[in-house]
Amino acid sequence: MTSEKTPTAKSARRRDPYRRSAAGFIAPGVLLVAVLLYLPLLWTTFLSFTEYNGLGDPEWIAFDNYVEMFDDPEFLGSVFNTLLWVLGTLLVPVGIGLGIALLTWNLKGGSWLRLPFLIPYALSGIGVGVIWSFVLSGDGALDQALAAFGVTDTPRWLVDAPLNTVVMILATAWQGVGVNALLFTIGLQSIPKEPLEAARMDGANGFRLFRSILWPMLRPLTAVVVGLSIVASLKTFDIVQGMTKGGPGRDSETLALTMYKESFVNTEYGLGAAIAVFLTVVTLVASILYLRQQLSSKHGG
Amino acid sequence: MSRVIRTTVLSVLGLFWLIPVYLLVVNASKSPEAFSSKDSWLPADFALFDNISEAMRLSGMAESAASTLLYSVVSPALAVLVGAAAGFAIVALRLRHGFAWFVVIFGGTVFPLQMILLPLMDSYTRIEVFDTQLGMIIVYTAISIPFSAFVMRNFFTGIANNVFEAAVLDGASTWRIFSRVYLPMAKSALVAVFILQATFIWNDFLLGLVLSQSDSVRPIMTSLSGMQSTYGGAQMSVVLAGGLLVSLPTVVLFLFTQKFFARGLALGQY
Repeated sequence: MTSEKTPTAKSARRRDPYRRSAAGFIAPGVLLVAVLLYLPLLWTTFLSFTEYNGLGDPEWIAFDNYVEMFDDPEFLGSVFNTLLWVLGTLLVPVGIGLGIALLTWNLKGGSWLRLPFLIPYALSGIGVGVIWSFVLSGDGALDQALAAFGVTDTPRWLVDAPLNTVVMILATAWQGVGVNALLFTIGLQSIPKEPLEAARMDGANGFRLFRSILWPMLRPLTAVVVGLSIVASLKTFDIVQGMTKGGPGRDSETLALTMYKESFVNTEYGLGAAIAVFLTVVTLVASILYLRQQLSSKHGG
Repeated sequence: MSRVIRTTVLSVLGLFWLIPVYLLVVNASKSPEAFSSKDSWLPADFALFDNISEAMRLSGMAESAASTLLYSVVSPALAVLVGAAAGFAIVALRLRHGFAWFVVIFGGTVFPLQMILLPLMDSYTRIEVFDTQLGMIIVYTAISIPFSAFVMRNFFTGIANNVFEAAVLDGASTWRIFSRVYLPMAKSALVAVFILQATFIWNDFLLGLVLSQSDSVRPIMTSLSGMQSTYGGAQMSVVLAGGLLVSLPTVVLFLFTQKFFARGLALGQY
């Protein structure tokens, strides 16, 4: 914000030629986004109403793909797994992330103590998959550790459903805790000192301080973290493809993986497009919470 | 809670968090002869560098590493420039209906990638950029633009308008004001966005899987995943070495630029 007076007519006139050149500055962004994101988006929506295998022309079949989709128990299983992902990545990494942020808050050497949690965040989904496949394989590192404690009757971590989805969620949580901790730390640091000191003088400490002061003040940031987390978990693909390929059978598939398989393995482009549309609608609904937060905070321009 | 308890809890939890990393490093360092899937917790010999060169040989990983490096430098660089230009047009030049145009660009980030895969593969094949480096650079640039425009617009909103007025009084051209005044002022935001997007591209798997095939074009994560399903057993240590190799750049970049990461995230959130 500036404290200058409203621009005079003269300075507004001086601005005009500059304003005319604005179109040229925004054009590359709009063009690239339109051609590579929006056009394909429309085309996929169209394909979802057709039967198409990549050869010949798409054949219009209206809602048949959608009907077929919801009739398929495997698809419903994939919806269930995706919901499990949303729930799991909401509770575990967001919860632990908040815990770590609170523990390191105002702590000497806090940023160093946060470091171990941040290292996995820089890994890719595929990298995380390679590590955890190794840890969780039959007789792998985890089973060996458990055997040392006398536990030999371990489940087949990546084979039994829905356990395989649960352990993959935990592997993703291992990766995601650090970034949530970092975001909550940014939020905690931006809390003004006065109300905190006032609350402390009134004797609020520990959980009471958290519940009555910190939590309400973190609310806008929590909405962002939760929104990001929901949207990201809806699109879960890399880690599942890397660890189980959606198997055994189709037991651990997520929506994003089912879409990939129908499209690029079975070349059922129409059905794949319908799944993509469904995923998009769900993501959009989930994003509203998050977008409202983002766009309302700095409106205009 | 006292500081001592907090520090202790965090240290213990932190060590626990690093166990998978420890297992990765220890087992990626075992030579195929010394590697035994029955004994993962103790180090054996040290053959990390042999394993890495074997991983590069087996899967064409050296070639895809070079390509991925190209993508994760060129695409985010282009995207921050395009995004900054858009932010500049909206904020400094006061483009008519600027906020609507901003929503158009930012909207590109809302949809899952799944929505663009089919048409991209189809049209890439038709115009013969499927499985080319050019095709990969274009798509990575396009998907990095919305976030970049978002951050840059927010950043420029914080710059006082009389900076622009002063440059106008000096008679500077629009391009000059953008490249000599606004871009240099935004250096830290540009770097933050660049690093975030470079990491994102380096770690991409899905676009590489759908839009490329050959070792020389295929991004590194797609190579690693292919290697994981092709090799195993005694060569597990080689696969793990590959995993360690592709993870190192992002981890090192992240640790050295944590400040920028945090800033990029913060800029992106508010």
